[in-house]
Amino acid sequence: MIANEETMRILMVKAQGGDKQCYSSLLLECEKWLRRYYARKINPAAIDDLVQETLISLHRKRASYDPTKAFLPWLAAIGRYRWIDSLRKIYRHEHDELYEEMVADPQDEDVTAKVSLERLLGMISDKQAEVISLVKIEGLSISEAAAMTGQSESLVKVNIHRGLKKMSSLIENE
Amino acid sequence: MNMNANSLIDGLVDELEPIKTIKPITGLAVTGLLTLGVMAAVTITLGVRNDLAMGMADEMFFLRSGVLLMLGIATTFTVVNMARPGVGNLNRGWIWAALTAALFPVTAAIMSAINAPPVEALRPMEGLKCLAISGLSASVIGTGLTLWLRQGAPTSPERAGWLVGMASGALGAAAYNIYCPFNDIYYIGMWFTLPVLISAVAGRLIVPRLIRW
Repeated sequence: MIANEETMRILMVKAQGGDKQCYSSLLLECEKWLRRYYARKINPAAIDDLVQETLISLHRKRASYDPTKAFLPWLAAIGRYRWIDSLRKIYRHEHDELYEEMVADPQDEDVTAKVSLERLLGMISDKQAEVISLVKIEGLSISEAAAMTGQSESLVKVNIHRGLKKMSSLIENE
Repeated sequence: MNMNANSLIDGLVDELEPIKTIKPITGLAVTGLLTLGVMAAVTITLGVRNDLAMGMADEMFFLRSGVLLMLGIATTFTVVNMARPGVGNLNRGWIWAALTAALFPVTAAIMSAINAPPVEALRPMEGLKCLAISGLSASVIGTGLTLWLRQGAPTSPERAGWLVGMASGALGAAAYNIYCPFNDIYYIGMWFTLPVLISAVAGRLIVPRLIRW
């Protein structure tokens, strides 16, 4: 069970005021939320690092949260930024089983749907999203992705590059 | 949750101190003060246009000033809001200001197609001076805005770079505009557009590496 949007907002406001107990609770909730947020959107072996990097970014950039606004859209913007950054760094990883239990968070379904990574992937072309999913998330090689999609290897690379670039410009879009 | 995440959270909690949230109004104030500063510097070092000094400025001066200031304010407003990210924040108002500002070069291009402009209307020597002083003013304003933006968390550093450049270019040109005595549409279309474009390109090339987080 993850705290709801309003609870997280209140915890964040208190954390900005220096309340360590609230901050600890908030980070624990964010850690759980981020694990679900990134599930199926990055190789499971990379999730720990990505979640931790996002928590560090949250900490460093906590002054950028506007206490009068909802918390999850802010967290999601930071999460998307770190996710795309992470996808750019991944060139090849092992095939792993995706954790079946890591399904989308049922809490705050409306908010989660608006800020989801799925929606971000839906903003780029199908061909770009397909090769990003195959190579950067599922861990196939460029040649495997090329054989699977019928795109040439160079086109796979171009589509990955363009897709990531497009997504990075759309991070704050719903 | 694994041990690493646990110890990371403990470490982050230990580091926690009260912070002041970033306020876009501060970024606007920094940009506004720098713009007033470069306007004062232009006035002191170069002076103001004669017609303005006499209180009878040409209508083109007001049009040009208004368009440059609106472009500068709208893009600055977008930049300062980019410091506080959030899915759903679109901040696209600057596009309308940029389209309005494009009326000057577009009109100049159409007029040039109809009647080839006399070379003297472009005044290359004065134009280069306009470009240099506007660019210098833009660099002062852009530096301040970039330093302020570094505190924030812009999720699209490239777009932020374009917009910092465009904002500072427009405000820098607005500062030089106080002195510039020329009202010709060809001159304005070229020499007041170039500083904005060059500054935007410079912003795209320089700013992202300074604000990436």
